[in-house]
Amino acid sequence: MLLPSFEYERPDTIEEAVLLLSTNRNARVLAGGQTLLNALKLRIVRPDVLVDVSRIPELHAIERTADGSLAIGAATTYDEIAGSQVVRDMHPVVASMTSRIVDRQVRARGTIGGNVCLADPTSNFPPLLVALGARLRVRAAQAREVDAEAFFFAPYMTAVREGELLETVVLPPLRADEGLGYESLQVGTDSWALARACAVVRCNGTISEARVALGCGPVPVRQPSVEQALIGCEPTAEAIGAAAALAGDGFDPPADVHASAEFRVQMAKAMARRAVLAAVQGRS
Amino acid sequence: MGDSAHPITVTVNGERHERVVMGRQLLVHFLRETLGLRGTHIGCDSGNCGACTVICDGKAIKSCMQLAVQADGREVETVEGLAGPADPPTRLQAAFTRHHGVQCGYCTPGFLMSATALLQERPSLSREEIRRGLKGNVCRCTGYVNIVLAVEDAAQGGERP
Repeated sequence: MLLPSFEYERPDTIEEAVLLLSTNRNARVLAGGQTLLNALKLRIVRPDVLVDVSRIPELHAIERTADGSLAIGAATTYDEIAGSQVVRDMHPVVASMTSRIVDRQVRARGTIGGNVCLADPTSNFPPLLVALGARLRVRAAQAREVDAEAFFFAPYMTAVREGELLETVVLPPLRADEGLGYESLQVGTDSWALARACAVVRCNGTISEARVALGCGPVPVRQPSVEQALIGCEPTAEAIGAAAALAGDGFDPPADVHASAEFRVQMAKAMARRAVLAAVQGRS
Repeated sequence: MGDSAHPITVTVNGERHERVVMGRQLLVHFLRETLGLRGTHIGCDSGNCGACTVICDGKAIKSCMQLAVQADGREVETVEGLAGPADPPTRLQAAFTRHHGVQCGYCTPGFLMSATALLQERPSLSREEIRRGLKGNVCRCTGYVNIVLAVEDAAQGGERP
C-alpha cells in the first residue's frame, strides 16, 4: 500500500463533517485529493481520519446571494466553477482563470476550498480573493466569516483551525465601473507560476479606487503603494506603469532553480501593470 | 487508529463490481490488482504523468490521485473498455495506429482515455485545444506530434470517438 493507514469517513451533511472533524484529533478534510493524496504518499501529513466532504451537496453549490455576491461551496471543483453560467456572467475573469488551472484531470477533481486551504504560495485563488475582498465562511460548532486578507497566515497555514471546515468562498460583485484583472507569469502553459497579480480597479475617466494583490510570495499581499499611486490617475499605460513599478510591499518571494527572488520581484511589477491595465480595459 | 474497510459498488467498463476496500487503497491499485485490469498504467505515482488516466462519470481523472472508495457508486471506464481484443478499434485507436502515435507505448492508455473524454465532451477541436486538453499526459518518446495528429484526425468530422 502506498498510503499510510487512516480511517475514511464520508459524511452526508456539513454538520456531520464538522462533528467528525471536531471530535477526532488529527482528522483532515479530503475534498478533491489532488494535493492531499500526494502529501499522504510522501508522509508529509499523517492523519488518523480522513473526512471526505466531496459528496456534501451544499459544498458544491454556486449561488448569488441577496447582496449580489457569489457564494461558492468549498468542495466545488475547478470544472464546476469554470463551467458555471453565473460565474461566467458575474466574474468572467474568475471563470477563465479557473479553466486554466493545471490540466483537465486536475480540474475535474481539484476544488476551490482545497486551493485556498492548502495556501501554497503559487496557488491561483489567494491573490484573487485578497484583491477582490472575498470573505471565507468557516464552520466549527458555529459559523464565522474571515476576510481574505486575514485568512492566509503563512505558506500552508490559514485561519481554518484544526477541527474546522471551510464552507463557502464569497466573492463580492463588481460594480458597473469596476474591472478585474488577473495575470500570471507561468512556467509553461497552465502551469504553476513565478509571479501573480490581481487588480480590482474603479474608473470613471480617472481611477477612484484600486485594490491590487501579489501572489507567489509566502502569502498574498495587498499593494498599498501601487493602490495609492493609481488613485486620481487617468488610466493611461504610462500612469499605470509608473504606479505598478512601486509593487513589492511585503512581497518576499523565494529564490530557487527557476528564478532568483529579484527576478520574481521584477516580474511581479510587470504582472501588476498588466493586471491593472486588464482591469481598466475590462470594466463593464 | 488503523485502517477502515468499506463496501463499494463500482461499475467498470459496464460491469458492476461489489468489493470491500481499505480506505487507503488508490483507485489505480483497485483497478490493476483487485480487478486485474492492468491496461491502466502507473507512471509517476504522483499525479504528474497521466499514465493512469481513466474516465469516471464522463471525466478524465488520474486514478493514482483518487481513492478506490471515492469511486463508490461511480462509472469508471478504462482502456480495456474502449475495444475488446476481438472488436474493431475505436476511431481514436485507429487514428493512433495510422499516425503512429506511440513509441514505447507506456503512456498510450492514459492518452487514449484523456483524448476519449476530450472528444466525448467536444467532438470538434482545434489543434491548440487538443494540445491544451492533453496537457495532463506526459510522453517521453514521441515529442507529441503524432499523438496530436491522431487526435486531430479522430476529431475530424465531429463524430464521437
